[in-house]
Amino acid sequence: MQEDDRPGLSVRLDAVTKIYVVSGEELPAIRGITLSIDKGEALAVVGSSGSGKSTLLHLSGLLDRPTTGAVFYGDRRVDHLPASDRAVLRNRSVGFVFQNFQLIPRTTAIENVEMPLLYRGVSARERRERARNLLASVGMGDRERHYSSQLSGGQQQRVAIARALAASPGLLLADEPTGNLDSRSASSVLELLLSIQERSRMTLVLVTHDTEVARFATRTVRVRDGLLEGS
Amino acid sequence: MLLVFLGLKALLRNPYRSILTSLGIVIGVLSVIVLVSIGLGAKALVLQSIQNLGPNLLVVIPGSVTDSGAQVGGGTDTTLTVDDAQAIREDCPDVWNASGALRTAAQVQSPHANWSTVILGAEPNYLPVRDWHLAHGGFFGPEEEASAARVAVLGRLVASRLFGLGNPVGNFIQINHSPFRVIGLLSSKGQSPMGMNQDDMVVIPLSTLQSQIMGVTYVGVILAAAGSPDRVDDAKREIRDLLRLRHHIPPGGRPDFDIQALSDIAKTANRLSLILTVLLALIASISLFVGGIGILNIMLVSVRERTREIGIRMAIGARPRDILLQFLTESAALSFFGGLVGGLLGILSILAIRSFLGWPAPIPWEGSLLTVAGATFLGILFGLYPAWRASRLDPMEALRYE
Repeated sequence: MQEDDRPGLSVRLDAVTKIYVVSGEELPAIRGITLSIDKGEALAVVGSSGSGKSTLLHLSGLLDRPTTGAVFYGDRRVDHLPASDRAVLRNRSVGFVFQNFQLIPRTTAIENVEMPLLYRGVSARERRERARNLLASVGMGDRERHYSSQLSGGQQQRVAIARALAASPGLLLADEPTGNLDSRSASSVLELLLSIQERSRMTLVLVTHDTEVARFATRTVRVRDGLLEGS
Repeated sequence: MLLVFLGLKALLRNPYRSILTSLGIVIGVLSVIVLVSIGLGAKALVLQSIQNLGPNLLVVIPGSVTDSGAQVGGGTDTTLTVDDAQAIREDCPDVWNASGALRTAAQVQSPHANWSTVILGAEPNYLPVRDWHLAHGGFFGPEEEASAARVAVLGRLVASRLFGLGNPVGNFIQINHSPFRVIGLLSSKGQSPMGMNQDDMVVIPLSTLQSQIMGVTYVGVILAAAGSPDRVDDAKREIRDLLRLRHHIPPGGRPDFDIQALSDIAKTANRLSLILTVLLALIASISLFVGGIGILNIMLVSVRERTREIGIRMAIGARPRDILLQFLTESAALSFFGGLVGGLLGILSILAIRSFLGWPAPIPWEGSLLTVAGATFLGILFGLYPAWRASRLDPMEALRYE
């Protein structure tokens, strides 16, 4: 967290739709959403499961491309970039936290945290040092060498958060980060996320179906049937 | 470089599968190297036995007998004589020495044993022509040849059959019930390229064999040694011209003799053993190829199994080419280490073949390096498709993959 004063990234979705085609049938996940997320905002996206809120997150994070519409980072349109350029943007500007943690199996905590830096070409010593600091900052400093299978859900999610922060992204995307946790670890993970956001003033998008969780956000939008329900 | 390291690490995470996958390459490289070595050994063996006969040697054999219009086969005629041999010695400048020879089979007896062997009638200069030496005693000279003396020089095998390990020189043997004095013992020469054991032979003066045993006046063969290997072709031409003249063959007429240079035989044998080596290498390459398919198979399974890992890597910023390189490194490493182990095992096997079977199998160093490099290339080639598939995965779908 050396870059506390780094300004967050502003994201704009411009009339995006996402239509999945499953065995010849069109399934619209997003029917047309326009949404601006400001720098340093902590936005909660709520909605029932299947409402399209996760798809919205993936589109914002360039994991997926909209069927129509456009995605802007700042003033730059990014959704139509080739896979390689989108990968570089994800690496440098976006941190993901998933519901099911998505740590790489048979890999230690510190290796997971180092990975975004690896793809960035950061030297081994610097990677190790940054990863160590990050693990310490999420309270996992004593479990660097543990494999993901040796960690509890809450611990895995802390490692995943450290990994999302490794590249000091301007945008942190969390998809039901507490969905697979018991209430105690859930609230501590949530506190961790929000305190990081507060300190670093990075942009945070938090997807959740839990309105309790959404209360911590500075703004809440509700998604239903692929459409935004007021903001 | 980092991604290369990443690929290696993935292999170590699954050591048994990695070892089993590279086993195909190990066996492939092993068999290529061992079979090539065996082929090269065969070649060395053939060349060595030709070297034993003398690389400068020319063999003049009579032509075929025409029996009622049917040719009976090369070397059956009786047109060559001692005088031809003498003329070759005296009139061909590129011939260093020559000797007529004739052979028959006979029963040979010592006081204690008997043995059925080949009796070779030869002129006194037979040994230098053949570049052969005596182990004990002497050889017969012009006097014995002129007087058709009953003296014999024994081959190594005959001597041991008749007299055991003792020195036979000075003893008497009987050939077809006529007594012969043993005056010498030949050094061991081993097999001829035609597969005959040259140590299983008794050499007596040519005149003795012709007049006292066979009752003929011709010779079966004339052996001529050229002055040096590069004069073999000239010597061959000179002998041909001389014998055509002596045998009154008209220009354009078919000669009643044939001249073979051992260097020609050596060339043929060399080519044959090269074909053998290439054939063996080809057969072994098939197993290498199968090993490559094993890698292709495992890499495809691995990509499928690790779809989610690929998705995670893509989500945190791995570009398609990073993924490609990672999987390519894995297959290259599998085949490289497999090739290395196969190469080492191959060299050990060659050493074992040498010491236990006595086969002169050389270690094909360049061939081994080439095979290991080829195996690595094969691994990369077969890894290309799975790696390409991995790199083309959609990150979102890969993340959801169960």
